[in-house]
Amino acid sequence: MKKVLYFPTEKKESWQSFIELKVKELKRGLIEINSGNWQLKCRDIIYLKNLCERYNLTIVSINSYIPETIISANSLGFESSLELEFAEKSKRTFDNEIINSLQSPSTFFHQGTLRSGESLDVNEDLLILGDVNPGAIVSAGGNVMIWGRLLGIAHAGKHGNDHAKITALQLRPVQLRISNKIARGPKEKPEQGLAEEALIEEGVIVIKPAKNS
Amino acid sequence: MTSDTRVILICSGKGGVGKTTLTANLGISLASKGCPTAVLDADFGLRNLDLLLGLENRIVYTAQEVLEENCRLDQALVKHKQQPNLSLLPAGNPRMLEWLKPEDMQKIVEMLNDQFQYVLIDCPAGVEDGFKNAVSASKEAIIVTNPEVSAVRDADRVIGLLNTHGVKPVQLVLNRVRPKMMQSQEMLSIDDVTDILALPLLGLVLEDEQVIVSTNRGEPLTLVGSNSPAARCYSNIASRLQGEEVPLIDPAKEGSSLKDKFRRLMQTKIF
Ligand SMILES: Nc1ncnc2c1ncn2[C@@H]1O[C@H](COP(=O)(O)OP(=O)(O)O)[C@@H](O)[C@H]1O
Ligand SMILES: [Mg+2]
Repeated sequence: MKKVLYFPTEKKESWQSFIELKVKELKRGLIEINSGNWQLKCRDIIYLKNLCERYNLTIVSINSYIPETIISANSLGFESSLELEFAEKSKRTFDNEIINSLQSPSTFFHQGTLRSGESLDVNEDLLILGDVNPGAIVSAGGNVMIWGRLLGIAHAGKHGNDHAKITALQLRPVQLRISNKIARGPKEKPEQGLAEEALIEEGVIVIKPAKNS
Repeated sequence: MTSDTRVILICSGKGGVGKTTLTANLGISLASKGCPTAVLDADFGLRNLDLLLGLENRIVYTAQEVLEENCRLDQALVKHKQQPNLSLLPAGNPRMLEWLKPEDMQKIVEMLNDQFQYVLIDCPAGVEDGFKNAVSASKEAIIVTNPEVSAVRDADRVIGLLNTHGVKPVQLVLNRVRPKMMQSQEMLSIDDVTDILALPLLGLVLEDEQVIVSTNRGEPLTLVGSNSPAARCYSNIASRLQGEEVPLIDPAKEGSSLKDKFRRLMQTKIF
């Protein structure tokens, strides 16, 4: 029988000691891990794996609603899926897009924040798990999706695709480019936690709340 | 090689943000807490760590002669008279950069490892060659920046470089904080800076004219037991480096209380 191991909902403490206690209680068998809103790096997942092995537990899957965790788990060969039910409402609109692109072969992933002076230029769709800081530039032949803040410059549809979009959890760029159109970033700060997208409407770049696609 | 020696790079994106001042004051602070500390001037172009420490006239040999094996390490190390736990390893002349390789820096640092608990490297600004040499020799770094857009932007870039070189942990020191300007939002706030740089904040250093006075005298503030705002900040940073939990000063509360005003008045009288 499969048991589920949930991460602490409180972010106050570190999860390691909490999990170790739980694992000791469970003892041998199959478990599914749900890391909730904790972001786990590869080394965290290796830690989990070793811990479970010590108590004769086999991890069958790792679920989380943080995409980074899913990617880490996937890269280590674990079955894992993005949980939606806990996701904050505001982010949920964006989740479907992320899930679709996670499964799409024509998406280029980048994990980590792009800092000033760094750039990323791809021909496919671009999915970034992290921030694009002021002074950084990202461009893509297709859409640009940023699970984080866009504070630098982003260019979508760089080969002339007018239907390309730029989506980010927070859209506060220095400059936006879609196809051959250029727009300066909005002066006012957007509402916190509302994913937004930029696209071309009637020949100009507009920014609106990301819609559920 | 003693493994518990901490080799810490003090670096920044822009020049003039306060690296050398931090290196000198942190060096003295750590030394006065009983830790044998070496400060290494790796800013060959703009060397002035010796000046700040008041050691300029005692330099005979430099790192250059050590590497060329024209002298022993202990001949080149300049021990601070008032704070003998602190030694300076002076940089060679600027031409040294032309032949210095990352291995050379590593060699120097390895030699220092035997005698010292802390090795602080005053690094050249930004992305120059000297920076890359220094990076190769350390695991840990402190980024110094000011609450200004351009300084933060350049710091961000250097953090990216440190990441690609695998330097970890990287902590942040925000220097020249002016509480009044922060309050009136004429200056980037602490949150603005940490939001972008996404680094743990090791400490704030308040803008303090005593820093300039002490620089000109060649006596770091932390050496003379000053109680000026910046001196307290430097000493707090040293404590945090050693793992003590010291609360951050609150810029909003700085300089407003009567006691602070009185203390400042006293200081201007004394100095
Ligand atoms: N907290 C501070 N308050 C006032 N002046 C400062 C402070 N920190 C640095 N300075 C001044 O700024 C100038 C540059 O500092 P320095 O340490 O030489 O920078 P860097 O080594 O990064 O080029 C010096 O004149 C120094 O006295
Ligand atoms: Mg300097």
